[in-house]
Amino acid sequence: MATFDRSAGSPFVYKLAIYLVLILVAAAFLLPMFVMVVTALKPMDEIRSGSIFSFPVDPSLDHFGKAWLSACSGLSCSGLSEGFWNSIKIVVPATAFSVLAGAVTGYALAMWPFRGAKALMTALMIVAFIPYQVILYPIVRIFSTIGLYNSLPGIILIHVIFGLPVMTMIFKNYYIGLPQELIKAARIDGAGFTRIFVSIILPMSPGILAVTTMMQFTAIWNDYLLGLIFAGRDNLPMTVQLSNIVHVSMGEIEYNVNMAATLLTALPPLLLYFLSGRYFVQGITAGAVKG
Amino acid sequence: MSGISIKDLNKWHGPLHVLQAIDLQIDPGEFIVLLGPSGCGKSTLLNAIAGLEPINSGSIDIGGVDVTHVDPSRRGIAMVFQSYALYPTMSVRKNLSFGLTVNKVPKATINQRVDRVAKMLQIESYLDRKPAALSGGQRQRVAIGRALVRESSVCLFDEPLSNLDAKLRTETRGELKRLHASLGATMLYVTHDQIEAMTLATRVAVMKGGKVEQYAPPEELYERPATLFVAGFVGSPSMSFLDATLTSDKTLELGGLSLDMRAYPFTTEMTGKVVLGLRPEHISIVEDTAQPGIDVTTLFIEPMGADTLCWFEIAGQKFSARLNPVLARTLGKTARVRFALERASLFDSATEKRI
Repeated sequence: MATFDRSAGSPFVYKLAIYLVLILVAAAFLLPMFVMVVTALKPMDEIRSGSIFSFPVDPSLDHFGKAWLSACSGLSCSGLSEGFWNSIKIVVPATAFSVLAGAVTGYALAMWPFRGAKALMTALMIVAFIPYQVILYPIVRIFSTIGLYNSLPGIILIHVIFGLPVMTMIFKNYYIGLPQELIKAARIDGAGFTRIFVSIILPMSPGILAVTTMMQFTAIWNDYLLGLIFAGRDNLPMTVQLSNIVHVSMGEIEYNVNMAATLLTALPPLLLYFLSGRYFVQGITAGAVKG
Repeated sequence: MSGISIKDLNKWHGPLHVLQAIDLQIDPGEFIVLLGPSGCGKSTLLNAIAGLEPINSGSIDIGGVDVTHVDPSRRGIAMVFQSYALYPTMSVRKNLSFGLTVNKVPKATINQRVDRVAKMLQIESYLDRKPAALSGGQRQRVAIGRALVRESSVCLFDEPLSNLDAKLRTETRGELKRLHASLGATMLYVTHDQIEAMTLATRVAVMKGGKVEQYAPPEELYERPATLFVAGFVGSPSMSFLDATLTSDKTLELGGLSLDMRAYPFTTEMTGKVVLGLRPEHISIVEDTAQPGIDVTTLFIEPMGADTLCWFEIAGQKFSARLNPVLARTLGKTARVRFALERASLFDSATEKRI
């Protein structure tokens, strides 16, 4: 009776099977991507012919320019650029604050045990899994009462608040793995809560900081619901604007411009992954020193 | 030069009484070892003295100052940790100077002290390396160096040698002893290794279950253990225990044998059930069968190189003797032995205390 054994069977067949599966999975993800890219490059009359998989005969980057500068959403026709800068204004501070706050709270929970720390962690756990929709309306009321509704600080604060539970848990779980004796040694050396965090803990965290920054950046960049509700008309993020551009129904639907706009919106998180992906592998492994 | 004085120290972990009314007087310049099995509270006591663990009641004086509620950094102590706890992102030099920088010591003084300590511990050649690029022994030196640059009059050590290999451990042990002699600082050292305790200490506090069982110089600990626990914990190969009954005329009844205990230095009078403690070197073989002695059954032998440990049985109870290897090889199924009863230890079976 034959049993499955990597060394016994034909290594060629085995490898072929693996590659086949991988290629199929990759195709499932890449094919829509391919359609988007070629459509964004085609002029409208090529698109109208209906063959969505065909390569563009007369490729042009003009649609990207139009999507960026002059696509219409509602009454304004200033393209996506406005939304892009709005998104940057929201994402950068919101990511920075939520990651930093998560690092501090995670560090406090992991290394400075206090009464009720366990209960607090459990509460955070539960809070992290509450669907937004449940608490949206009360938060809208609270924010409008304190005058933060429909403002840039308001939407930033919202993202920080919603990001904090998960950030705290990630950092706590990372810091709990560091030797507690480091803190003791630093306390004997005379360093306090802040000094230990800045001089010892933070320099040990580049890996986890990179990971959480990417997580938060992507999550906040991709956010639609919160931006739509809390940002206010002047601060609508790129995703909301993209949706407005795509859904506007006046005359012909410019698929090429829509595809270009979508690609532009998806680009920033993608770039971030390309630029800092190696930190995922690096850094995390550079843990503490043990004898 | 600072002594340490601990009075009626209590600590609870929830329902667990981990330190029970600890009283400890440490004279300036002493090398005190806290010895005990894991979970006996020795590390907790050290951390409490350092101020890293809160206590429930009692007081701690260092150098005549009550530091019970003082921050760890203001207690005038330095500490070496089991895992070394070197700051992994800092160079060796930064590791050594961190505490001084935090305490705003002038730069020139810092450099001077770091260089002096680096020279003393021979770690100058890797001052610019990160801890990850050091071997275990080198990390150990840096950890000790970090404690020394503080120039504190009290040094605390939490099992500092347990992560080293056997050879390095012996070397570093000797070096610690030399350091103590040259610095003259008061040292408090936690270990579960009784050899370290015996070799390093001026006095040893043996702990068990959150209490100090005996606080005495190493020789006294070995020769006159105060409790059954200390007797069994200190010494390797360990002491053998034989159940016996003590009669009013100082005779020990041991499974049909009667042993004359008049030479034993009794501290209290008692009769009844006792435990006779014999170190392996308290037993010798009577080679001339015409001489009086105790006939015992030979069980097995364990050659240890310089000596051979021989296990015997008397009245169903086992005990071991440290014998000359040549003599041990000639042993038959039975042997005639003699006990050095004047050097033995007697414990009350009920209280487990020395009598």
